[in-house]
Amino acid sequence: MNTLYFEDIEEGDELPSIDMFLSKDQVRQYARTAGMYVPRFTDDEGARAEGLPGMIAPGVMSMGLLARMISDWNPAALITRIGTTFRSPVLPERNVHLRGAVTQKIEADHTVECDIWMENDDGERWVIGTATAKVPSKG
Amino acid sequence: MALEFDRSIIGQIFDETAFPPVTKEEILEFAAALGETNPFYTDEAAAAKGPYGGLVAPPTLVTKLRAKKFTPEHLPKFGKVGFDGGRDLEIFAPVRPGDQLTMLSTIHDIYEKTGRTGSMYFIVIRNEVKNQNGERVALIDHRIMQR
Repeated sequence: MNTLYFEDIEEGDELPSIDMFLSKDQVRQYARTAGMYVPRFTDDEGARAEGLPGMIAPGVMSMGLLARMISDWNPAALITRIGTTFRSPVLPERNVHLRGAVTQKIEADHTVECDIWMENDDGERWVIGTATAKVPSKG
Repeated sequence: MALEFDRSIIGQIFDETAFPPVTKEEILEFAAALGETNPFYTDEAAAAKGPYGGLVAPPTLVTKLRAKKFTPEHLPKFGKVGFDGGRDLEIFAPVRPGDQLTMLSTIHDIYEKTGRTGSMYFIVIRNEVKNQNGERVALIDHRIMQR
């Protein structure tokens, strides 16, 4: 486990991105475990009946993946706040890229502020947000 | 359309839901569905040696809690179609296996925004999650857009 300490982190640091193919099965697995097993998240035809282009990933799944990016970057980071805006539907069977950057370090309580987002191959940001995480300090 | 509704609805608790105890399996499945590899969420033995002294849930697990009533009974409809606009989550305490969570729901805010495509209405539902010790675990603000 690679713990990053407050002193190791600089404003402007990019979080290692997660570049993944978001499969329908993965979305269904999330929907099942999150108690959201409804057509819009599980089946194209059912989703189209609701006026969507096809099945979509739940917004909270994107939020969960962005939280995972922070925990992959620094497993010792304790997320105290995460906010996400769902700008467009996240369609599976495509590549998604989870990205982030440290925007501010707050000395008083050893927290870091991050911009976080999910984009597609064309760089369109489907989900944007910010997060605050408390990190350990050497001091 | 002007935004007209009885503002006394804001801040009133319209739902309180108690959930069955969180299980270890539930935490592990949720972590697996997100591809988490952080041992605090995935490995009981390793987590026992970590800062929490045991397995904890990934921070967004609380977003799967469903209130019995999603919105108050008399909430007016502001638009024809609804979208999930986003979530703001504040975390105060970790969720552990065996925790018995309770969630209180209020309407936190209702506001209007006018953009290129006309007016949109935002309804913010606030869920406050507490554990069996009365400790505040999380605040979840859920923004629903209607147009």
